Amino acid sequence: MRTAAMPVPVDRQPPTDDVREGLARNAVSFPDGIPGFETCRRFVLLSADSLAPLQRIESIEGPPAAFLGIDPRLLLDGYRCKLTETDLRALGADGDSTLLWFAIISEVDGVLSANLRAPIVINPQRMIGRQVLPDDGLYPIRHVLTTKA
Amino acid sequence: MLVFTRRRQEAIRIGDRIEVRVLRVGRDGVRIGITAPPDVPVHREEIYEEIREANRAAVAPQVDLSALAERLRQP
Repeated sequence: MRTAAMPVPVDRQPPTDDVREGLARNAVSFPDGIPGFETCRRFVLLSADSLAPLQRIESIEGPPAAFLGIDPRLLLDGYRCKLTETDLRALGADGDSTLLWFAIISEVDGVLSANLRAPIVINPQRMIGRQVLPDDGLYPIRHVLTTKA
Repeated sequence: MLVFTRRRQEAIRIGDRIEVRVLRVGRDGVRIGITAPPDVPVHREEIYEEIREANRAAVAPQVDLSALAERLRQP
């Protein structure tokens, strides 16, 4: 059984200075952090063909944290989550901005699920992100994807 | 912890930007109105805790990524 707050496995070489610099340039700032990871303020989005449509959202500042995200609209037709004035302001966005949406994927006891309730939203124009916590509870925190093969 | 007794329609001010007002008192619950500036996040505690727990459980799940990606690519 997986318990919460497991350390991130170190499965990669430490990044070279070039890589580090590139990551810093492409960092998305999360001014409020993410619940549970309040001190992680800068993340990068990593994608790979073999990973698509998943993307890795990885902290480059503060304690190590890496999430797997997927556009919730790929999981649920007609998914829509309303952003509050506060959210838009924090993202430096208006109603017309094109935003990136990620449902965070988690695994508990071998069951994979996506958090449709509280998606991560990123404004790519401003490189600002935040996790949205709507109070309406329209979508589940654990939308089951599949059991582990 | 600071503890106050408030009646219906009475309020508490926290700093000069936040007001917490008791709107209605029922047998099982109290209805509270909060006025706060947009940069102050206000959430029900249990929702915040739930999301926090979900995030902690989500850190780098130990999954076969390519198999999962493959599955998700299928319509």
